[in-house]
Amino acid sequence: MATDRSRRRTWTLGVAVLFTIVVLYLTTGVSSGLRGGANVVVTPFSWAVNAIARPIGHLLAGTVNYSDVVAQNQKLRYQLGRAEENANAAWAYTRQLQQLTTQLSVPFVGSLPTVVAQITTLSPTNFAATVGISKGRDSGVLVGMPVVANGGLVGRVIATTANGATIGLITDTSSSVGVTFKNGKTSLIVSGRGLNNGLGATSVPLGTSIAPGTKLLTDGLNGGLYPAGLPVASVKTVILTPGAATYNLTLEPSADLRHLSYLDVVLWEPPA
Amino acid sequence: MRRVLVPATLVTLIIVAIQLSIFTSLRFAGVVVMLVWLWPLAMGLAGLTALALWCALVAGVFFDTHSTTPFGMTVVVGLLLAYGASRLGREGVGDLDSAAWWVTPLLAAAAGFFAPLLFVGASFFTLNFSLWRDSLLSAMVVNAIAFFVLARPVARLALWVGNLGGSRR
Repeated sequence: MATDRSRRRTWTLGVAVLFTIVVLYLTTGVSSGLRGGANVVVTPFSWAVNAIARPIGHLLAGTVNYSDVVAQNQKLRYQLGRAEENANAAWAYTRQLQQLTTQLSVPFVGSLPTVVAQITTLSPTNFAATVGISKGRDSGVLVGMPVVANGGLVGRVIATTANGATIGLITDTSSSVGVTFKNGKTSLIVSGRGLNNGLGATSVPLGTSIAPGTKLLTDGLNGGLYPAGLPVASVKTVILTPGAATYNLTLEPSADLRHLSYLDVVLWEPPA
Repeated sequence: MRRVLVPATLVTLIIVAIQLSIFTSLRFAGVVVMLVWLWPLAMGLAGLTALALWCALVAGVFFDTHSTTPFGMTVVVGLLLAYGASRLGREGVGDLDSAAWWVTPLLAAAAGFFAPLLFVGASFFTLNFSLWRDSLLSAMVVNAIAFFVLARPVARLALWVGNLGGSRR
């Protein structure tokens, strides 16, 4: 009798698990289904851990960094005052910029719609520079769309769910961005070197005139992954190897990737 | 084994939750400490071979579904660490009760040092040749230090979970 009951329970559990997997598979696809299923299981544990750990963490951090917090508060108040002063003048510049953009037919700079999203998760691993955001397919966010924040290009959408998305940062080791500078005639490929190592460009021809501080923008070449004119990075150092026909660059991302909290997903898709 | 499977799975899920909620933000020199690898390693050092492999599998699968690195690589590294540690654990090497106090932390530190290297090595089999460019050395050093510090408490937890089943090995 007990064996029958145990067998029935196992069957019920098995059917329930299978049903869940099939539903997740049919509604969201295999990879999203796995992710969704894993989230459903882990979320209650994460919630419990957060509920216990966060207040303790905040208390400790607040105690240890109290003077920093006060200083930061004063600095923010000052910046707020400055921002309010600038806000009044900003609308005039925005209008002027829009007019110029229309005249020059620049495909970006304010003309493309964006979706503001909050960063919800950081990459859990050491080997992928990614962040999770609070907006997904339901808000029009699709795979491949560029993401900007804090003054420059942040990365592109690499995965989406209904209410969230994963952004592959430009510093990810698998990231490559086509850029140009000054006259727009020379194109370079900027590669990610990992979250802690910034960006780099290799095999720059010796004839290319580039100096530290030069700003690099997306080239927007036909078939490229990004629209033209997005600030990507500025040149930090130029590395010359004696006898070599090319040189390398180390670059500083234009966007401050270490202090991201909100970002804009540009509703622009690479041409098919 | 069956009796301990449920608590071991629950503790593993809590470990994954701690990894994702706390250790992801709590970075040292920009490096994430991989608790999901230390846990099966500690299980292995406690001589709980089957349980260590199970915990490596569960922790790895749940972690990999949250990561953008190729699926299954955390599992592979976890399984390798668990298996290697359980070979030592079965011989009593690294046993908290019989070995010198520094043996478990030292073994864990060695595992923490080589685990990121194993991960990058495993990535070559998925035709991903760019991971070595990231902060590999930092990841190795930080994980070695963190595993050294955390080895004994985590091994104590592993022993406690193992004893819930009534017997070890």
